[in-house]
Amino acid sequence: MHVGLEHYLTVSFLLFSLGLLGVILRRNLLVIYMSLELMLNSANLALVSFSRYNGKLDGQVLVFFIITVAAAEVAVGLALIVALYRKRQSAHVEDLTSMKL
Amino acid sequence: MNASLITLELCVIALGTALLLADFWVPAERKKYLAYAAIAALTGLLVISFSGQGVCSLGGSAFHGSFVNDALAVFFKRLFLTAAILVLFVVLQFSSRVPGAISEYYSLVLFALAGMLFAASANDFPMLFVSIELITITFYVLTSFQRSKIASLEAGVKYLILGALSSSFMIFGIALIWGTTGKLNFNDLAAVAPQFATSKLFVLGVLLVLSGLGFKIAAFPFQIWAPDVYQGAPTPTTAFLAIGSKAAGFVLLLRFLFTAVPCLTTHWSSLLIIISCITILYGNLCALPQRNLKRLLAYSSISHAGYLLLGVAALNTAGIAAILYYFAGYLFTVLAAFTVIAIVFKNLESEEISGLAGLSQRSPFLAASMTFAMVSLAGIPPLAGFFGKFLLLKAVIAQGAATHDHGYYWLAAITLVGVVISMYYYFGVVRAIYWSRETADLTPIELDGPAKVSLALCVAGIFWLGLFPNTILDLANEAAKSLGV
Repeated sequence: MHVGLEHYLTVSFLLFSLGLLGVILRRNLLVIYMSLELMLNSANLALVSFSRYNGKLDGQVLVFFIITVAAAEVAVGLALIVALYRKRQSAHVEDLTSMKL
Repeated sequence: MNASLITLELCVIALGTALLLADFWVPAERKKYLAYAAIAALTGLLVISFSGQGVCSLGGSAFHGSFVNDALAVFFKRLFLTAAILVLFVVLQFSSRVPGAISEYYSLVLFALAGMLFAASANDFPMLFVSIELITITFYVLTSFQRSKIASLEAGVKYLILGALSSSFMIFGIALIWGTTGKLNFNDLAAVAPQFATSKLFVLGVLLVLSGLGFKIAAFPFQIWAPDVYQGAPTPTTAFLAIGSKAAGFVLLLRFLFTAVPCLTTHWSSLLIIISCITILYGNLCALPQRNLKRLLAYSSISHAGYLLLGVAALNTAGIAAILYYFAGYLFTVLAAFTVIAIVFKNLESEEISGLAGLSQRSPFLAASMTFAMVSLAGIPPLAGFFGKFLLLKAVIAQGAATHDHGYYWLAAITLVGVVISMYYYFGVVRAIYWSRETADLTPIELDGPAKVSLALCVAGIFWLGLFPNTILDLANEAAKSLGV
Protein backbone atom coordinates (compact mmCIF):
# COMPACT_ATOMS: atom_id res chain seq x y z
CA MET A 1 0.00 0.00 0.00
CA HIS A 2 1.28 3.45 -0.85
CA VAL A 3 1.26 5.86 2.08
CA GLY A 4 0.23 9.31 0.90
CA LEU A 5 -0.36 12.75 2.35
CA GLU A 6 -3.95 11.94 3.30
CA HIS A 7 -2.81 9.06 5.52
CA TYR A 8 -0.46 11.30 7.45
CA LEU A 9 -3.15 13.94 7.76
CA THR A 10 -5.65 11.37 9.00
CA VAL A 11 -3.21 10.28 11.70
CA SER A 12 -2.60 13.92 12.56
CA PHE A 13 -6.35 14.63 12.86
CA LEU A 14 -6.78 11.49 14.97
CA LEU A 15 -3.98 12.52 17.32
CA PHE A 16 -5.44 16.03 17.59
CA SER A 17 -8.91 14.66 18.42
CA LEU A 18 -7.49 12.18 20.95
CA GLY A 19 -5.59 14.98 22.62
CA LEU A 20 -8.69 17.18 22.73
CA LEU A 21 -10.74 14.31 24.17
CA GLY A 22 -8.06 13.76 26.79
CA VAL A 23 -8.11 17.42 27.80
CA ILE A 24 -11.89 17.36 28.12
CA LEU A 25 -12.38 13.97 29.77
CA ARG A 26 -9.36 13.33 31.96
CA ARG A 27 -9.24 14.68 35.50
CA ASN A 28 -5.54 14.58 36.32
CA LEU A 29 -3.59 17.73 35.50
CA LEU A 30 -0.52 15.82 34.32
CA VAL A 31 -2.55 13.65 31.97
CA ILE A 32 -4.31 16.75 30.66
CA TYR A 33 -0.93 18.31 30.08
CA MET A 34 0.27 15.24 28.18
CA SER A 35 -2.84 15.41 26.01
CA LEU A 36 -2.03 19.04 25.24
CA GLU A 37 1.44 18.00 24.09
CA LEU A 38 -0.18 15.39 21.90
CA MET A 39 -2.26 18.13 20.24
CA LEU A 40 0.82 20.27 19.62
CA ASN A 41 2.68 17.32 18.14
CA SER A 42 -0.22 16.43 15.88
CA ALA A 43 0.20 19.89 14.36
CA ASN A 44 3.91 19.16 13.98
CA LEU A 45 3.13 15.96 12.13
CA ALA A 46 0.76 17.79 9.80
CA LEU A 47 3.37 20.46 9.10
CA VAL A 48 6.12 17.96 8.40
CA SER A 49 3.98 15.86 6.09
CA PHE A 50 2.74 18.93 4.17
CA SER A 51 6.35 19.99 3.93
CA ARG A 52 7.40 16.62 2.54
CA TYR A 53 4.64 16.46 -0.04
CA ASN A 54 4.72 20.11 -1.16
CA GLY A 55 8.50 20.08 -1.43
CA LYS A 56 8.94 23.22 0.71
CA LEU A 57 10.96 23.54 3.87
CA ASP A 58 9.08 26.39 5.62
CA GLY A 59 6.91 23.93 7.50
CA GLN A 60 9.89 21.98 8.82
CA VAL A 61 11.46 25.21 10.08
CA LEU A 62 8.20 26.18 11.77
CA VAL A 63 8.23 22.78 13.51
CA PHE A 64 11.54 23.70 15.15
CA PHE A 65 9.95 26.87 16.49
CA ILE A 66 6.99 24.89 17.82
CA ILE A 67 9.20 22.30 19.53
CA THR A 68 11.21 25.05 21.20
CA VAL A 69 8.13 26.92 22.37
CA ALA A 70 6.52 23.68 23.59
CA ALA A 71 9.64 22.88 25.61
CA ALA A 72 9.49 26.31 27.27
CA GLU A 73 5.80 25.80 27.94
CA VAL A 74 6.45 22.39 29.54
CA ALA A 75 9.20 23.81 31.74
CA VAL A 76 6.89 26.49 33.10
CA GLY A 77 3.83 24.26 33.18
CA LEU A 78 5.35 21.36 35.12
CA ALA A 79 6.88 23.78 37.63
CA LEU A 80 3.45 25.29 38.13
CA ILE A 81 1.73 21.94 38.55
CA VAL A 82 4.37 20.84 41.06
CA ALA A 83 3.95 24.10 43.00
CA LEU A 84 0.20 23.54 43.10
CA TYR A 85 0.66 19.93 44.17
CA ARG A 86 2.86 20.97 47.08
CA LYS A 87 0.22 23.40 48.25
CA ARG A 88 -2.84 21.24 47.69
CA GLN A 89 -1.46 17.68 47.84
CA SER A 90 -3.52 16.93 44.75
CA ALA A 91 -3.24 17.30 40.99
CA HIS A 92 -6.91 16.82 40.18
CA VAL A 93 -9.06 19.40 38.48
CA GLU A 94 -11.93 18.82 40.92
CA ASP A 95 -9.80 20.40 43.62
CA LEU A 96 -9.30 23.65 41.72
CA THR A 97 -12.30 25.32 43.29
CA SER A 98 -11.03 28.15 45.46
CA MET A 99 -12.64 30.79 43.22
CA LYS A 100 -16.37 30.89 42.62
CA LEU A 101 -19.10 33.32 41.46
CA MET B 1 16.52 43.44 5.03
CA ASN B 2 16.56 46.12 7.65
CA ALA B 3 17.38 44.54 10.98
CA SER B 4 17.70 47.87 12.79
CA LEU B 5 13.90 47.99 12.88
CA ILE B 6 13.85 45.70 15.91
CA THR B 7 16.02 48.05 17.99
CA LEU B 8 13.11 48.90 20.29
CA GLU B 9 12.40 45.24 21.04
CA LEU B 10 16.10 44.53 21.60
CA CYS B 11 16.33 47.48 24.00
CA VAL B 12 13.41 46.15 26.04
CA ILE B 13 14.86 42.63 26.18
CA ALA B 14 18.28 43.99 27.15
CA LEU B 15 16.63 46.06 29.88
CA GLY B 16 14.82 43.00 31.22
CA THR B 17 18.01 40.95 31.26
CA ALA B 18 19.94 43.78 32.90
CA LEU B 19 17.34 44.00 35.68
CA LEU B 20 17.59 40.26 36.22
CA LEU B 21 21.37 40.53 36.58
CA ALA B 22 21.25 43.67 38.71
CA ASP B 23 19.12 41.72 41.16
CA PHE B 24 22.31 39.92 42.31
CA TRP B 25 24.01 43.10 43.53
CA VAL B 26 21.15 45.30 44.68
CA PRO B 27 20.23 44.86 48.36
CA ALA B 28 16.63 44.04 49.17
CA GLU B 29 15.65 47.44 50.53
CA ARG B 30 16.84 49.14 47.33
CA LYS B 31 15.00 46.85 44.90
CA LYS B 32 12.44 49.53 44.14
CA TYR B 33 15.14 51.60 42.44
CA LEU B 34 15.28 48.86 39.80
CA ALA B 35 11.65 49.61 39.03
CA TYR B 36 12.39 53.34 38.86
CA ALA B 37 15.23 52.59 36.44
CA ALA B 38 12.93 50.45 34.29
CA ILE B 39 10.23 53.13 34.31
CA ALA B 40 12.77 55.79 33.36
CA ALA B 41 14.19 53.67 30.54
CA LEU B 42 10.77 52.83 29.12
CA THR B 43 9.72 56.48 29.34
CA GLY B 44 12.87 57.34 27.42
CA LEU B 45 11.99 54.82 24.70
CA LEU B 46 8.43 56.19 24.55
CA VAL B 47 9.67 59.77 24.17
CA ILE B 48 12.13 58.70 21.47
CA SER B 49 9.35 56.93 19.58
CA PHE B 50 7.28 60.12 19.63
CA SER B 51 10.14 62.41 18.63
CA GLY B 52 10.13 60.95 15.14
CA GLN B 53 13.92 60.65 15.32
CA GLY B 54 16.06 57.61 15.79
CA VAL B 55 15.60 53.94 15.19
CA CYS B 56 12.46 53.40 17.25
CA SER B 57 10.16 55.06 14.74
CA LEU B 58 11.52 53.82 11.41
CA GLY B 59 9.02 52.54 8.88
CA GLY B 60 9.37 49.57 6.61
CA SER B 61 9.70 45.83 6.90
CA ALA B 62 12.47 43.46 7.85
CA PHE B 63 13.32 39.76 7.73
CA HIS B 64 11.63 39.07 4.37
CA GLY B 65 8.45 40.83 5.36
CA SER B 66 7.85 38.92 8.58
CA PHE B 67 8.34 42.07 10.67
CA VAL B 68 6.61 45.29 9.61
CA ASN B 69 6.85 48.65 11.31
CA ASP B 70 3.92 50.57 9.85
CA ALA B 71 1.77 53.21 11.55
CA LEU B 72 -0.43 50.52 13.12
CA ALA B 73 2.57 48.77 14.69
CA VAL B 74 3.99 52.06 15.97
CA PHE B 75 0.63 53.05 17.50
CA PHE B 76 0.37 49.77 19.37
CA LYS B 77 4.02 49.88 20.44
CA ARG B 78 3.47 53.26 22.08
CA LEU B 79 0.35 51.87 23.73
CA PHE B 80 2.26 48.86 25.09
CA LEU B 81 5.13 51.01 26.35
CA THR B 82 2.70 53.30 28.19
CA ALA B 83 0.87 50.30 29.61
CA ALA B 84 4.12 48.72 30.85
CA ILE B 85 5.22 51.98 32.50
CA LEU B 86 1.94 52.31 34.38
CA VAL B 87 1.94 48.58 35.26
CA LEU B 88 5.41 48.97 36.78
CA PHE B 89 3.92 51.69 39.01
CA VAL B 90 1.27 49.20 40.11
CA VAL B 91 4.00 46.61 40.79
CA LEU B 92 5.69 49.14 43.08
CA GLN B 93 2.51 49.31 45.16
CA PHE B 94 2.30 45.55 45.17
CA SER B 95 5.93 44.72 45.99
CA SER B 96 5.33 44.16 49.71
CA ARG B 97 3.27 41.06 48.88
CA VAL B 98 5.93 39.19 46.90
CA PRO B 99 9.01 39.62 49.08
CA GLY B 100 12.38 38.52 47.79
CA ALA B 101 11.55 38.01 44.14
CA ILE B 102 10.23 41.35 43.05
CA SER B 103 12.92 42.15 40.49
CA GLU B 104 12.08 38.96 38.61
CA TYR B 105 8.58 40.36 38.41
CA TYR B 106 9.94 43.57 36.83
CA SER B 107 11.90 41.65 34.21
CA LEU B 108 8.97 39.35 33.44
CA VAL B 109 6.81 42.41 32.79
CA LEU B 110 9.50 43.62 30.39
CA PHE B 111 9.74 40.25 28.62
CA ALA B 112 5.98 40.19 28.18
CA LEU B 113 6.26 43.73 26.85
CA ALA B 114 8.86 42.54 24.32
CA GLY B 115 6.42 39.86 23.19
CA MET B 116 3.72 42.49 22.74
CA LEU B 117 6.06 44.74 20.75
CA PHE B 118 6.90 41.84 18.44
CA ALA B 119 3.20 41.02 18.15
CA ALA B 120 2.48 44.58 17.04
CA SER B 121 4.82 44.05 14.09
CA ALA B 122 4.13 40.40 13.32
CA ASN B 123 3.35 39.89 9.66
CA ASP B 124 3.70 36.16 9.23
CA PHE B 125 2.65 33.02 11.07
CA PRO B 126 5.92 32.04 12.82
CA MET B 127 6.22 35.59 14.14
CA LEU B 128 2.57 35.57 15.24
CA PHE B 129 2.97 32.24 17.01
CA VAL B 130 6.27 32.99 18.73
CA SER B 131 5.26 36.47 19.89
CA ILE B 132 1.93 35.25 21.24
CA GLU B 133 3.68 32.41 23.08
CA LEU B 134 6.28 34.79 24.50
CA ILE B 135 3.42 36.81 25.96
CA THR B 136 1.42 33.82 27.18
CA ILE B 137 4.25 31.81 28.76
CA THR B 138 5.47 34.92 30.58
CA PHE B 139 1.96 35.48 31.83
CA TYR B 140 1.75 31.91 33.21
CA VAL B 141 4.60 32.86 35.54
CA LEU B 142 3.24 36.34 36.26
CA THR B 143 -0.18 34.91 37.11
CA SER B 144 1.11 32.35 39.60
CA PHE B 145 3.73 34.66 41.05
CA GLN B 146 2.28 34.69 44.59
CA ARG B 147 3.32 31.11 45.25
CA SER B 148 2.12 31.22 48.85
CA LYS B 149 -1.43 32.00 47.76
CA ILE B 150 -3.53 29.09 46.52
CA ALA B 151 -5.77 31.28 44.35
CA SER B 152 -2.76 32.58 42.45
CA LEU B 153 -1.44 29.07 41.73
CA GLU B 154 -4.87 27.90 40.72
CA ALA B 155 -5.30 30.83 38.37
CA GLY B 156 -1.89 30.04 36.89
CA VAL B 157 -2.76 26.40 36.26
CA LYS B 158 -6.11 27.29 34.70
CA TYR B 159 -4.46 29.84 32.45
CA LEU B 160 -1.77 27.29 31.58
CA ILE B 161 -4.19 24.54 30.54
CA LEU B 162 -6.53 26.77 28.56
CA GLY B 163 -3.66 28.80 27.10
CA ALA B 164 -1.87 25.69 25.91
CA LEU B 165 -5.16 24.39 24.48
CA SER B 166 -5.71 27.59 22.52
CA SER B 167 -2.15 27.61 21.20
CA SER B 168 -2.51 24.04 20.00
CA PHE B 169 -5.68 25.07 18.17
CA MET B 170 -3.83 27.95 16.65
CA ILE B 171 -0.80 25.96 15.58
CA PHE B 172 -3.00 23.31 13.99
CA GLY B 173 -4.80 26.08 12.13
CA ILE B 174 -1.48 27.46 10.94
CA ALA B 175 -0.47 23.97 9.77
CA LEU B 176 -3.68 23.65 7.74
CA ILE B 177 -3.36 27.13 6.22
CA TRP B 178 0.25 26.55 5.28
CA GLY B 179 -0.49 23.08 3.98
CA THR B 180 -3.23 24.26 1.62
CA THR B 181 -1.72 27.55 0.43
CA GLY B 182 2.02 27.09 0.95
CA LYS B 183 2.31 30.66 2.28
CA LEU B 184 3.31 31.85 5.74
CA ASN B 185 3.63 35.57 5.06
CA PHE B 186 0.37 37.54 5.44
CA ASN B 187 0.84 39.60 2.25
CA ASP B 188 1.70 36.51 0.17
CA LEU B 189 -1.26 34.71 1.70
CA ALA B 190 -3.65 37.54 0.81
CA ALA B 191 -2.60 37.23 -2.83
CA VAL B 192 -3.46 33.53 -3.08
CA ALA B 193 -6.25 33.25 -0.48
CA PRO B 194 -9.20 33.96 -2.86
CA GLN B 195 -8.56 30.79 -4.85
CA PHE B 196 -8.65 28.73 -1.65
CA ALA B 197 -11.77 30.40 -0.22
CA THR B 198 -13.84 27.30 -0.97
CA SER B 199 -11.29 24.81 0.38
CA LYS B 200 -12.67 23.29 3.59
CA LEU B 201 -9.22 22.66 5.07
CA PHE B 202 -8.21 26.28 4.51
CA VAL B 203 -11.38 27.69 6.09
CA LEU B 204 -11.02 25.29 9.03
CA GLY B 205 -7.44 26.50 9.46
CA VAL B 206 -8.54 30.14 9.49
CA LEU B 207 -11.25 29.37 12.06
CA LEU B 208 -8.73 27.55 14.29
CA VAL B 209 -6.33 30.50 14.17
CA LEU B 210 -9.23 32.84 14.97
CA SER B 211 -10.15 30.71 18.00
CA GLY B 212 -6.57 31.00 19.27
CA LEU B 213 -6.73 34.78 18.92
CA GLY B 214 -10.23 34.83 20.43
CA PHE B 215 -8.72 33.27 23.53
CA LYS B 216 -6.21 36.10 23.86
CA ILE B 217 -8.88 38.80 23.66
CA ALA B 218 -11.33 36.81 25.84
CA ALA B 219 -14.18 36.83 23.32
CA PHE B 220 -17.11 34.41 23.55
CA PRO B 221 -16.85 31.33 23.46
CA PHE B 222 -13.18 31.48 24.54
CA GLN B 223 -13.68 33.73 27.57
CA ILE B 224 -14.01 30.94 30.13
CA TRP B 225 -10.54 31.46 31.65
CA ALA B 226 -10.84 35.19 32.23
CA PRO B 227 -12.78 35.46 35.54
CA ASP B 228 -10.67 32.96 37.51
CA VAL B 229 -7.36 34.19 36.14
CA TYR B 230 -8.19 37.85 36.71
CA GLN B 231 -9.33 37.13 40.25
CA GLY B 232 -6.47 34.88 41.30
CA ALA B 233 -3.58 36.67 39.62
CA PRO B 234 -1.60 39.38 41.43
CA THR B 235 -3.18 42.79 40.76
CA PRO B 236 -0.41 44.16 38.46
CA THR B 237 -0.62 40.98 36.37
CA THR B 238 -4.37 41.39 36.07
CA ALA B 239 -3.88 44.97 34.95
CA PHE B 240 -1.33 43.94 32.33
CA LEU B 241 -3.56 41.08 31.16
CA ALA B 242 -6.54 43.40 30.84
CA ILE B 243 -4.80 45.91 28.63
CA GLY B 244 -1.54 44.50 27.23
CA SER B 245 -2.53 40.95 26.46
CA LYS B 246 -5.89 42.01 25.06
CA ALA B 247 -4.38 44.71 22.86
CA ALA B 248 -1.76 42.27 21.56
CA GLY B 249 -4.54 39.84 20.67
CA PHE B 250 -6.39 42.62 18.86
CA VAL B 251 -3.45 43.83 16.80
CA LEU B 252 -2.79 40.25 15.66
CA LEU B 253 -6.49 39.77 14.96
CA LEU B 254 -6.62 42.95 12.87
CA ARG B 255 -3.53 41.99 10.89
CA PHE B 256 -4.72 38.45 10.36
CA LEU B 257 -8.25 39.40 9.31
CA PHE B 258 -7.46 42.43 7.18
CA THR B 259 -3.97 41.68 5.82
CA ALA B 260 -3.90 37.90 5.49
CA VAL B 261 -7.46 36.78 4.69
CA PRO B 262 -9.46 39.89 3.68
CA CYS B 263 -11.33 37.80 1.09
CA LEU B 264 -12.88 35.68 3.87
CA THR B 265 -13.33 38.51 6.38
CA THR B 266 -15.62 40.49 4.09
CA HIS B 267 -18.00 37.51 3.96
CA TRP B 268 -17.90 36.87 7.68
CA SER B 269 -19.46 40.08 8.96
CA SER B 270 -22.45 38.19 10.40
CA LEU B 271 -20.17 35.81 12.32
CA LEU B 272 -18.31 38.79 13.79
CA ILE B 273 -21.58 40.53 14.64
CA ILE B 274 -22.93 37.48 16.46
CA ILE B 275 -19.73 36.92 18.44
CA SER B 276 -19.63 40.58 19.36
CA CYS B 277 -23.29 40.58 20.52
CA ILE B 278 -22.90 37.45 22.66
CA THR B 279 -19.63 38.66 24.18
CA ILE B 280 -21.20 41.98 25.19
CA LEU B 281 -24.29 40.38 26.71
CA TYR B 282 -22.36 37.57 28.43
CA GLY B 283 -19.81 39.92 29.99
CA ASN B 284 -22.34 42.42 31.22
CA LEU B 285 -24.94 39.95 32.53
CA CYS B 286 -22.38 37.80 34.36
CA ALA B 287 -20.82 40.88 35.96
CA LEU B 288 -24.10 41.80 37.69
CA PRO B 289 -23.96 39.39 40.69
CA GLN B 290 -20.19 39.66 41.30
CA ARG B 291 -18.91 40.69 44.71
CA ASN B 292 -15.19 40.41 44.04
CA LEU B 293 -13.89 43.55 42.40
CA LYS B 294 -11.24 41.86 40.24
CA ARG B 295 -13.75 39.25 39.08
CA LEU B 296 -16.18 42.03 38.24
CA LEU B 297 -13.48 43.76 36.20
CA ALA B 298 -12.80 40.43 34.45
CA TYR B 299 -16.39 40.22 33.25
CA SER B 300 -16.24 43.89 32.40
CA SER B 301 -13.13 43.19 30.34
CA ILE B 302 -14.99 40.44 28.48
CA SER B 303 -17.76 42.90 27.64
CA HIS B 304 -15.15 45.43 26.50
CA ALA B 305 -13.72 42.79 24.16
CA GLY B 306 -17.25 42.64 22.74
CA TYR B 307 -17.38 46.43 22.28
CA LEU B 308 -13.98 46.35 20.59
CA LEU B 309 -15.20 43.63 18.23
CA LEU B 310 -17.75 46.16 16.98
CA GLY B 311 -14.89 47.91 15.25
CA VAL B 312 -13.73 44.65 13.66
CA ALA B 313 -17.25 43.74 12.53
CA ALA B 314 -17.67 47.19 10.96
CA LEU B 315 -15.03 46.16 8.37
CA ASN B 316 -14.07 49.75 7.64
CA THR B 317 -11.22 52.11 8.44
CA ALA B 318 -13.38 54.13 10.84
CA GLY B 319 -14.04 50.98 12.86
CA ILE B 320 -10.35 50.13 13.16
CA ALA B 321 -9.49 53.71 14.13
CA ALA B 322 -12.23 53.50 16.77
CA ILE B 323 -10.64 50.31 18.18
CA LEU B 324 -7.28 52.03 18.47
CA TYR B 325 -8.82 55.08 20.15
CA TYR B 326 -10.82 52.86 22.50
CA PHE B 327 -7.65 51.05 23.55
CA ALA B 328 -5.94 54.34 24.37
CA GLY B 329 -8.84 55.30 26.63
CA TYR B 330 -9.18 51.80 28.09
CA LEU B 331 -5.47 51.82 28.97
CA PHE B 332 -5.73 54.80 31.33
CA THR B 333 -9.12 53.76 32.70
CA VAL B 334 -8.19 50.19 33.58
CA LEU B 335 -4.83 51.11 35.01
CA ALA B 336 -6.41 53.80 37.20
CA ALA B 337 -8.80 51.17 38.55
CA PHE B 338 -6.09 48.57 39.19
CA THR B 339 -3.71 51.07 40.78
CA VAL B 340 -6.46 51.96 43.26
CA ILE B 341 -7.16 48.27 43.87
CA ALA B 342 -3.46 47.55 44.49
CA ILE B 343 -3.29 50.36 47.06
CA VAL B 344 -6.61 49.91 48.87
CA PHE B 345 -6.45 46.12 49.17
CA LYS B 346 -2.80 46.08 50.24
CA ASN B 347 -3.56 44.58 53.64
CA LEU B 348 -6.76 42.71 52.86
CA GLU B 349 -7.03 39.03 52.03
CA SER B 350 -9.43 39.29 49.07
CA GLU B 351 -10.70 42.06 46.82
CA GLU B 352 -14.37 42.21 47.84
CA ILE B 353 -16.23 45.33 46.70
CA SER B 354 -17.25 45.95 50.31
CA GLY B 355 -13.58 46.61 51.07
CA LEU B 356 -13.99 49.94 49.25
CA ALA B 357 -16.43 51.14 51.94
CA GLY B 358 -15.47 54.48 53.40
CA LEU B 359 -12.80 55.10 50.78
CA SER B 360 -14.18 58.60 50.23
CA GLN B 361 -13.11 59.43 53.79
CA ARG B 362 -9.94 57.37 53.85
CA SER B 363 -8.55 58.98 50.72
CA PRO B 364 -10.66 61.35 48.60
CA PHE B 365 -8.11 61.21 45.77
CA LEU B 366 -8.27 57.42 45.49
CA ALA B 367 -12.06 57.56 45.69
CA ALA B 368 -12.21 60.14 42.92
CA SER B 369 -9.79 58.19 40.71
CA MET B 370 -11.78 54.98 41.09
CA THR B 371 -15.01 56.86 40.37
CA PHE B 372 -13.59 58.40 37.21
CA ALA B 373 -12.37 54.97 36.09
CA MET B 374 -15.80 53.39 36.66
CA VAL B 375 -17.64 56.27 34.97
CA SER B 376 -15.28 56.05 32.00
CA LEU B 377 -15.73 52.27 31.77
CA ALA B 378 -19.49 52.77 31.85
CA GLY B 379 -19.17 55.23 28.98
CA ILE B 380 -20.54 58.47 30.39
CA PRO B 381 -19.52 61.75 28.76
CA PRO B 382 -17.15 63.55 28.86
CA LEU B 383 -14.66 60.80 29.74
CA ALA B 384 -12.55 58.65 27.42
CA GLY B 385 -14.81 55.60 27.53
CA PHE B 386 -17.76 57.54 26.17
CA PHE B 387 -16.00 58.87 23.13
CA GLY B 388 -14.54 55.46 22.31
CA LYS B 389 -17.95 53.79 22.40
CA PHE B 390 -19.41 56.65 20.38
CA LEU B 391 -16.79 56.14 17.64
CA LEU B 392 -17.37 52.38 17.57
CA LEU B 393 -21.14 52.81 17.28
CA LYS B 394 -20.71 55.46 14.60
CA ALA B 395 -18.52 53.13 12.53
CA VAL B 396 -21.00 50.27 12.88
CA ILE B 397 -24.02 52.38 11.93
CA ALA B 398 -22.16 53.89 8.98
CA GLN B 399 -21.40 50.38 7.74
CA GLY B 400 -25.03 49.40 8.29
CA ALA B 401 -26.18 52.32 6.18
CA ALA B 402 -23.63 51.50 3.48
CA THR B 403 -24.45 47.79 3.20
CA HIS B 404 -28.16 47.79 4.18
CA ASP B 405 -27.38 44.94 6.55
CA HIS B 406 -29.83 44.97 9.47
CA GLY B 407 -27.39 42.97 11.57
CA TYR B 408 -25.39 46.14 12.15
CA TYR B 409 -28.39 47.97 13.62
CA TRP B 410 -29.08 45.00 15.90
CA LEU B 411 -25.44 45.08 16.98
CA ALA B 412 -25.70 48.79 17.80
CA ALA B 413 -28.91 48.20 19.75
CA ILE B 414 -27.39 45.34 21.76
CA THR B 415 -24.35 47.47 22.52
CA LEU B 416 -26.62 50.15 23.97
CA VAL B 417 -28.43 47.51 26.05
CA GLY B 418 -25.05 46.26 27.27
CA VAL B 419 -23.97 49.77 28.23
CA VAL B 420 -27.18 50.30 30.20
CA ILE B 421 -26.73 46.98 32.05
CA SER B 422 -23.11 47.84 32.80
CA MET B 423 -24.09 51.12 34.50
CA TYR B 424 -25.71 49.07 37.26
CA TYR B 425 -22.58 47.27 38.37
CA TYR B 426 -20.16 50.13 37.74
CA PHE B 427 -22.29 52.37 39.91
CA GLY B 428 -22.46 49.60 42.50
CA VAL B 429 -18.72 50.17 42.91
CA VAL B 430 -19.17 53.95 43.13
CA ARG B 431 -21.93 53.44 45.69
CA ALA B 432 -19.65 51.27 47.82
CA ILE B 433 -17.06 54.06 47.79
CA TYR B 434 -19.34 56.95 48.77
CA TRP B 435 -22.55 55.66 50.30
CA SER B 436 -21.71 52.33 51.89
CA ARG B 437 -23.14 51.84 55.38
CA GLU B 438 -20.68 49.18 56.46
CA THR B 439 -17.72 51.33 57.39
CA ALA B 440 -15.23 48.89 58.78
CA ASP B 441 -11.95 50.73 58.77
CA LEU B 442 -11.57 54.49 58.45
CA THR B 443 -7.82 54.86 58.84
CA PRO B 444 -6.59 57.32 56.21
CA ILE B 445 -4.51 55.86 53.37
CA GLU B 446 -1.15 57.54 52.84
CA LEU B 447 -0.14 57.73 49.20
CA ASP B 448 3.54 57.66 48.27
CA GLY B 449 4.97 59.77 45.46
CA PRO B 450 4.94 57.19 42.65
CA ALA B 451 1.32 56.27 43.39
CA LYS B 452 0.29 59.93 43.14
CA VAL B 453 2.18 60.34 39.88
CA SER B 454 0.73 57.26 38.20
CA LEU B 455 -2.84 57.96 39.33
CA ALA B 456 -2.58 61.58 38.26
CA LEU B 457 -1.31 60.40 34.86
CA CYS B 458 -4.20 57.95 34.48
CA VAL B 459 -6.87 60.46 35.49
CA ALA B 460 -5.33 63.12 33.26
CA GLY B 461 -5.32 60.58 30.42
CA ILE B 462 -8.99 59.74 30.97
CA PHE B 463 -9.99 63.41 30.82
CA TRP B 464 -7.60 64.35 28.04
CA LEU B 465 -8.85 61.60 25.74
CA GLY B 466 -12.46 62.45 26.53
CA LEU B 467 -12.20 66.23 26.13
CA PHE B 468 -9.51 66.61 23.48
CA PRO B 469 -9.71 63.45 21.38
CA ASN B 470 -8.20 64.93 18.22
CA THR B 471 -4.51 64.18 18.77
CA ILE B 472 -4.98 60.49 19.44
CA LEU B 473 -7.76 60.24 16.87
CA ASP B 474 -5.45 61.57 14.14
CA LEU B 475 -2.82 59.00 15.11
CA ALA B 476 -5.47 56.26 15.18
CA ASN B 477 -6.82 57.24 11.76
CA GLU B 478 -3.35 57.26 10.27
CA ALA B 479 -2.62 53.84 11.83
CA ALA B 480 -5.92 52.40 10.61
CA LYS B 481 -5.21 53.57 7.07
CA SER B 482 -1.95 51.61 7.02
CA LEU B 483 -3.98 48.42 7.20
CA GLY B 484 -5.56 49.34 3.85
CA VAL B 485 -9.11 48.06 4.37
